[in-house]
Amino acid sequence: MEWAIEASGLEKSFRDVHAVRGLDLKVAKGEVFGLLGPNGAGKTTSLEMLEGLTKPDKGEIRVLGLDWKSHGQEIRSRIGVQFQSTQLDDRVKVREALALFGNYYEKARPVADLLKLLQLEEKAESFQSKLSGGQRQRLALGLALVNDPELVFLDEPTTGLDPQARQSLWDIVRNLKKEGRTVLITTHYMDEAEALCDRVGIMDKGQILQLGTPRELIASLNQPSYAELEFQGAGPDVGPFAARLGLPVEVKAGHWAVSLSEPRQDLQKLLACVNELDLPMQQLHVRRATLEDVFLHRTGRSLRD
Amino acid sequence: MYLRMFINQYLMGLKLTSRVPAAIFWLFAFPTVMLLGLGTLFGGAKEGPKLVWAHAAAGAPVDDFLQQALTERGVKIEVLSPAQAEERWQSGKLAALLEGDDGHYSLRVNNYLMMQAMQVEALVQQGFLMAQAKVQGAGDLARVPVVRSSPGGHHDGPYAAFLLPGLIGLNILMMGVFSTGMVDVTMRDKGGYKRLATTPLPRAVYIGAQLCVRLTTVVASAMLLMLIGALVFGVHNQGSYFGVLLVIVLGGFCFASLGYLLGSFARTVESYNGIANLAFLPLMLLSGVYFSLDSAPNWLQKGADLLPLSPVLRSLRAIFNDGASLASQGTWLVILAGWTVVIFTLAVKRFRWV
Repeated sequence: MEWAIEASGLEKSFRDVHAVRGLDLKVAKGEVFGLLGPNGAGKTTSLEMLEGLTKPDKGEIRVLGLDWKSHGQEIRSRIGVQFQSTQLDDRVKVREALALFGNYYEKARPVADLLKLLQLEEKAESFQSKLSGGQRQRLALGLALVNDPELVFLDEPTTGLDPQARQSLWDIVRNLKKEGRTVLITTHYMDEAEALCDRVGIMDKGQILQLGTPRELIASLNQPSYAELEFQGAGPDVGPFAARLGLPVEVKAGHWAVSLSEPRQDLQKLLACVNELDLPMQQLHVRRATLEDVFLHRTGRSLRD
Repeated sequence: MYLRMFINQYLMGLKLTSRVPAAIFWLFAFPTVMLLGLGTLFGGAKEGPKLVWAHAAAGAPVDDFLQQALTERGVKIEVLSPAQAEERWQSGKLAALLEGDDGHYSLRVNNYLMMQAMQVEALVQQGFLMAQAKVQGAGDLARVPVVRSSPGGHHDGPYAAFLLPGLIGLNILMMGVFSTGMVDVTMRDKGGYKRLATTPLPRAVYIGAQLCVRLTTVVASAMLLMLIGALVFGVHNQGSYFGVLLVIVLGGFCFASLGYLLGSFARTVESYNGIANLAFLPLMLLSGVYFSLDSAPNWLQKGADLLPLSPVLRSLRAIFNDGASLASQGTWLVILAGWTVVIFTLAVKRFRWV
């Protein structure tokens, strides 16, 4: 296996904050890898260490088989980094920005090709500050692609975008994979990770808690489905129901959540209990487990907290 | 490769600067307005001092001699009746009012218009002495010939000539402390440097191109000032253009470095404003941008000469106004170079990309 990123034992502290505590990560060439976690999990710091922006206090990093200390310039010329915003002067035009960044590399993709790829041809002569959120995010991605990079870092590329803009960005990312590039993406959207990533790492408090394909992670929960019972108003006392059902019941705002490890039997039992206790249930909602549940299970917290 | 990066970065920097209205204002409009405004305001009246003479009946020979003597010295005399003259005096616009005739004169001078009044008073005293001498049959008295000049030179500079190098210096100061420092802080605060740090663009190329953009703007603005000085005020460079350019470039380099140094102390654009003004105000006030500090206490002058802007202004004025050679400015250039080395070294040491 050829690795695009190999990191082991990464540690980083800022004054009193221990941001990254022993991060181990290997990303294969051609893989789309997602780093998942809530704000403050240490995603951005980890990314910045891998991008050569921040020196780790401890640990080893090899990017494309090279060491930042000895081959920094070569790594920089072969990777592309997208930030959460473009970080450009307000008065630079789209075409100029792409040309300017192309100028930083020995070989750069023609600006016209990039404009087409990003669907920004009509905006080529617009100031970047006049672009919509989605267009600006695409330009930011374009700046990361000017040098035809083998490895692309994307930091929360769809935060704050509307569904349509997210879709068009996802298409570009899927295309990157088709072209054989390696992509490391951070996000706190579970659906994004499920839709794009070959493998994901769930990160919290500066560590990777679990690694695997989205399917593996969900399967590891051993709770493929969830039932959610909704009541009108405050809802009845959960005690008798939980005792009769014999399954863990979580009381949430507005509903009860029951994890079903054997959906066929458990669901029947659940309905029987509702009938026997004559609970004023309004709605029953059954859904499969998601990465969100994996995260909740591993950390006891919701991702958006 | 690096040369191509440098040139493109430099051209883009110029292009972006030209798109910022505030930058254009401070670089070009502000110094132009200052030069035109202050140069005209303190340029002195072209038609010479005015004097109103109130006397009832003309005719005594001493009156004629006095009038002749004053006219020769460029005083414009308006003769009015005492009543009219009194009315004019009370309007407050008269600097001086001469009353009486046939050798019995008195002069009222307006305390509120001291500059003009003192000049008229001196001329009237002088003219009266000459008139008396003439009446006693002494004939024409000789005067000591006077040449208006600036020290060491042959330039009968109006105030605009003094002001022009001052404004060039002010521009250099503002370029460094405001433009350069502010852009530096913004780039770091908003992550622009971080963005660049992930590309192979070497920082030296980026910073070098930025410096050249700044130097270009101060040189361009100095050229504009000189053009206006020549066209409007007839002020010309008495020394070598190379000398003027060298002082501007060296000064520009020093103050751009100062901008980077100050920028390294601020985390946000907001906090930088305070730091910038803290550096800007004393430098502007103490270095003699608008007025000579020659009448200030000695210790203050000595201290101000050690500030980095003073050598820039002193050398510029010596070369531009007095035609001094670059070599004669050695001491000032050494002080400036010393500042540049110290500030540049500190700026490099404190510069952070992230």
